[in-house]
Amino acid sequence: MNRKSWHLNRREMLAGAGVALALPFLDSMAWAKGAATKAMPKRMVVSYFSYGAYMPNGGNGIQNMKQPHHDWSWWPCKEAGELTFNQNSAPFKPFKDQVSYLEGLDHEGGWSLGGHSSGDVFATGADMKESEKTNNISIDQAAAKVMGHHTRYASLVMGSEGGTGSYGGTKTLSHYGPGRPIPSMHNPQDIFNRLFKPYAGKSIEQVRAELKREKSVLDLIMGQSKSLNNRLSQADKAKMEEYLESIRALEKRVDRTTAWTQRPLPQVDATDFNLDVSYKDPQEYLRCMYDLMFIALQTDSTRFATFQTESENSSQSELWNFATYALGYKGATHDIAHKRPADYSGQWDQWRNKQHAYFLQRLKDAKEGDGNMLDNTVVLWGCGHPHASHSTKNYPIQLAGGNKLGFKHGKLHKFIGDNKVPLSNLFVSMLNAVDVPTEKFADSTGEMKELRG
Amino acid sequence: MVAPFFKAHCTHCHGSTESKGEITLHNLGGDLIAGQEIERWESILEMLESVEMPPEDEPQPNEVARQAVEKWIEAGLRDYIENASQMATAPTARRLTNFEYQNTMRDLLGFELNLIQNLPEDPVMPYKFNNTAQFMLMGMEQLDRYKENARRAMASVIVDAAMPEIHKTRREWEPRGGNPTVIMFDEIGGRRGSPGDGMGLKSWPKTGEFKIRIKTAAILPQGIEEVPLYVVMGSNINENSSTLRTEPIGTASVRSNVDHPEIIEFRGRIENYPARARSAKGKVSYAMTITPQNIYDDGRLNDHLKPLARPRLVVKWIEFEAPVFEQWPPKHHTDILFESPLRETDPGAYVKAVLERFMTRAFRRPVRDEEIENYTNIYKIVALDFPTIEEAMRETLAMVLISPDFMYHTVAKEDGVNRHYEVASQLSYFLWGSMPDQELIDLAKAEKLDDAKVIDQQVRRLLQDKRSGDFVANFTRQWLSIAKMKQVKINSQLYPRFLYYVSAGERAGTETPYRPTIRDDMMEESVGFVAELIKRNAPVLNVVDSDFAYLNQRLAVHYGVEGVRGHELRPVAIKPEHHLGGLLTHGSVLIGNSTGSAPHPIYRAVWLREAILGDEVKPPPAEVPALSDSAGESADHALSIKELLAKHRQSESCNVCHVRLDPWGIPFERYNAIGKYQAMVPKDGTRVRGVGNNRYQILESLEEYKAYLKEINTETVQADARVPHGPEVDGLQELKKHLLENRQDDIAENMVRRLLSYGIGRELTYRDRYGVEALLEQSKKNEYKLQDMIIAICQSKIFVGK
Repeated sequence: MNRKSWHLNRREMLAGAGVALALPFLDSMAWAKGAATKAMPKRMVVSYFSYGAYMPNGGNGIQNMKQPHHDWSWWPCKEAGELTFNQNSAPFKPFKDQVSYLEGLDHEGGWSLGGHSSGDVFATGADMKESEKTNNISIDQAAAKVMGHHTRYASLVMGSEGGTGSYGGTKTLSHYGPGRPIPSMHNPQDIFNRLFKPYAGKSIEQVRAELKREKSVLDLIMGQSKSLNNRLSQADKAKMEEYLESIRALEKRVDRTTAWTQRPLPQVDATDFNLDVSYKDPQEYLRCMYDLMFIALQTDSTRFATFQTESENSSQSELWNFATYALGYKGATHDIAHKRPADYSGQWDQWRNKQHAYFLQRLKDAKEGDGNMLDNTVVLWGCGHPHASHSTKNYPIQLAGGNKLGFKHGKLHKFIGDNKVPLSNLFVSMLNAVDVPTEKFADSTGEMKELRG
Repeated sequence: MVAPFFKAHCTHCHGSTESKGEITLHNLGGDLIAGQEIERWESILEMLESVEMPPEDEPQPNEVARQAVEKWIEAGLRDYIENASQMATAPTARRLTNFEYQNTMRDLLGFELNLIQNLPEDPVMPYKFNNTAQFMLMGMEQLDRYKENARRAMASVIVDAAMPEIHKTRREWEPRGGNPTVIMFDEIGGRRGSPGDGMGLKSWPKTGEFKIRIKTAAILPQGIEEVPLYVVMGSNINENSSTLRTEPIGTASVRSNVDHPEIIEFRGRIENYPARARSAKGKVSYAMTITPQNIYDDGRLNDHLKPLARPRLVVKWIEFEAPVFEQWPPKHHTDILFESPLRETDPGAYVKAVLERFMTRAFRRPVRDEEIENYTNIYKIVALDFPTIEEAMRETLAMVLISPDFMYHTVAKEDGVNRHYEVASQLSYFLWGSMPDQELIDLAKAEKLDDAKVIDQQVRRLLQDKRSGDFVANFTRQWLSIAKMKQVKINSQLYPRFLYYVSAGERAGTETPYRPTIRDDMMEESVGFVAELIKRNAPVLNVVDSDFAYLNQRLAVHYGVEGVRGHELRPVAIKPEHHLGGLLTHGSVLIGNSTGSAPHPIYRAVWLREAILGDEVKPPPAEVPALSDSAGESADHALSIKELLAKHRQSESCNVCHVRLDPWGIPFERYNAIGKYQAMVPKDGTRVRGVGNNRYQILESLEEYKAYLKEINTETVQADARVPHGPEVDGLQELKKHLLENRQDDIAENMVRRLLSYGIGRELTYRDRYGVEALLEQSKKNEYKLQDMIIAICQSKIFVGK
């Protein structure tokens, strides 16, 4: 394939994307005068990387203040306060006023999960030890429940490996509720089709007729299933409820899709993406995924997205070798977390940071009102483990964007010792920032005033 | 009596001040009947019975006291379980696993369609089976994909009335070249344009069965009788791109010489093969290529042998034709839309009859009138939009395939007849991973499936059917947790001859894709070994040691067993000097539990205790640093792993568990990272030279390289350890001996539990304790024979009774 020409293609397209795309909320143009900031979509993104990060001065996720700061540590600087950037975090230098680093946060509900497993609760904060063993609703879905009806898709769930994974080895960050992980999508072509070619070449009339039929058929299946349910034991009934709920959800989606057939689809051209990109080229792959997420947000197809850039326990997939393809590391990518080789660990973090910074840059480059999309999008980036791969406390956490949603950036914050608060407090602030009034999420004890007063 | 015992021997470690292993016992209630802490009591009993607690370095209770306490707990447990049998049980309704779904669709439709590629993977839990209700979740997204799948399947199975267009492609190769010192043009591996480049299809249908015929011959060096021809279809694998996808069509052993070539025929479904999409100027086009490959491998991979010295494959021509059918419409169509005058005279009755016939099979039981009524109504709605009965039926039957009666194993209460149909399904899903066949359904109808003799005879029949291969493969892979072995990154500098590497070009040094590797053979080795034990009705203890191995030529060369020829795996008698026998020496196990450079004694110890002895080994608790973090360096350089482990154990938090774990892994040390027996290793830090470092250097014999290895392998591997509560053992053979002498019951009990848990689709609990005990006693009297064990399980109360 001729990759060079594609590169140009994408750059051009993205640079001019604001004009090239028919954006639903462009119709009114009211905000262009900078008057009605309130009409702007408020968005939230959660993105995850795996296996922890390099923290040579404090492997348990808390920096050792007695040692000098390490140039390749995931933490950009040592002292709380104004951010300075080291080698590892260099990709985020251009975002100094749009990022914060948060030290000492985690989900207590995930403490008891194994050393490669706290990704399960990263976006949920569920108490996996006690009351919520099958996990619980994730932050993006909590937002989608309230605000999802404004867009064609309530949320976008992506993961490099796809599917749901399983207990202790999640492949998705998103959950509707207990026991209902949402399979993440990993194939760029599928994501593109689902987002921008949902009618698969059929006319609107055909699609509407099909939806109408589908609805009647689902009604009948529902009736049948209920009658089966009456003949089951109590325990089995509870199990079957999952199925019934899935049917109900399908019905709801039919209604919703029907309603959205009244609105035009955004015009996005598949040839602007490298949709058959391979895992063996991780940078192209991750950027293609981030491009899709960006376009989904920009066309206001959705406002809430999650992306698990790597999954833990991915020993059966190409992700196991991401660092090999990207950096030429000889072992499995996961080994970096265990062996912490000095010549690869920081570099690997930096590489991952670059890909995420690429996404932030896309948002920042897209003008929106008197600012840019990043101002209206709050982006969480982190992992469920610090340096020591068996630890499930003190996550590496970075928050970016959302400056117009009330977030104040540019600092390293420490939540250590007596100042420790649950990561869920940040979730409460994030939800409130996107107009989802929230007092409590998971084990939260309040809002995170340090970032959003 | 009990309280003082606990006070003396337990609670100072597991008490209010200290809680080793996160276990506290000081607050345990003494009234077992109350049932609050019954699981804790069961694990205490197990600890006492296995003499694992108190630890060896603590004062031991006297035998009388120990037995008295055991008896006391035992009696309480038994009382409790008898009284508690009326209580609520775990859910038994569970959706079909992806594996079961795929097989069921195959048997329902009459041909194999790959339908699970777009489904979320079923969960993978090390050493556990993924068919338990607890993990078989369902959500909207997933249901949506089942719907897509059902429509796809129906589009294939029900055809249009009009005879389809037949697509054909043929390509021939001539033996040009003429020079006897080079590979000719009609050979795989010849120059550009030879059969190895494959045949691009001119056109192909969207659905239907295809037939591929290949006229081929072998050119064999002396002493070699056959060469495997491996054929794939999909992308053109010679293209320089990393996004290629192919699916195998089949493998055949070619023996004919060039004067008498043979014709080999393969069949398959075109839907299962990925066409390569290319887009140019906004237009998308598709390509499909058939590529034959020579996958001969006698262990001298990457040795850069002269091409003429290897067995060669000639391909005269390849023919492709699709769709092929005996009749139109094909049988899989008329099995559903059967011929009947009703179709004309009373279309309404015909639709009902079609639905009843299909639903009865799909639901694995007789259907009730109101159920048929319901789908008739669906048909009526659908028929408004679809003019032909074929189209309308496709959509209606697709809806049958997303109904819970199809997608779930359900157990309806109160219905007496249904009980027999449920047993029919239980048997077939256990031993075939698929729906029951007509014979089982007939027996259910005749209400004969509560007869132990009938069960006995049916289990034997099911196990003889080739579908039982699906059960053995699915069961064995999960039980032994060996899937991970295919992703362990092998250090090609240390093991240059293990995998087939690309020798030149951009991807030089990477593993050659699109062909089965020795790792695939190793998976088959483990599955085939277990299948052989079942077939022979051999004692379960063979999993620890056996007098045969299950090998083909490639594996035999790898393990150092001589005289095995050909590509097919088969049982091979072994001798002590081969250092093989049982599952413990399988490459799948040893590689999966290594780092790719070195053995990993902890992984192997965990494997042995979990998979073979049936212990549950807790993962390291949070905040315990990993081995390499604490021991410095990386496991790559850790040839003296014993010392590393010793260091690891110095830390009190690690020692608590590792003192009982590590000794099980050390005896495996003489089996290297690629599963080969290797008693001597190079000095730490030695860089091993590969065979084929010089691309132009052709080794006539390997003696030189062998001598080189001998010269650098100067260090003896230490593999001696003292088994907890047991003797000092040196190496795996002594460990096996110890296990066979002292742990027979545990090994057999583990097997009973694994099979039972897999068979009933749930994890066993303390309630099953006495059911398992009875099975175990029965099996013990019968030398723990494996096939008989499976039969006994299928006859047991836990399996059939609820």
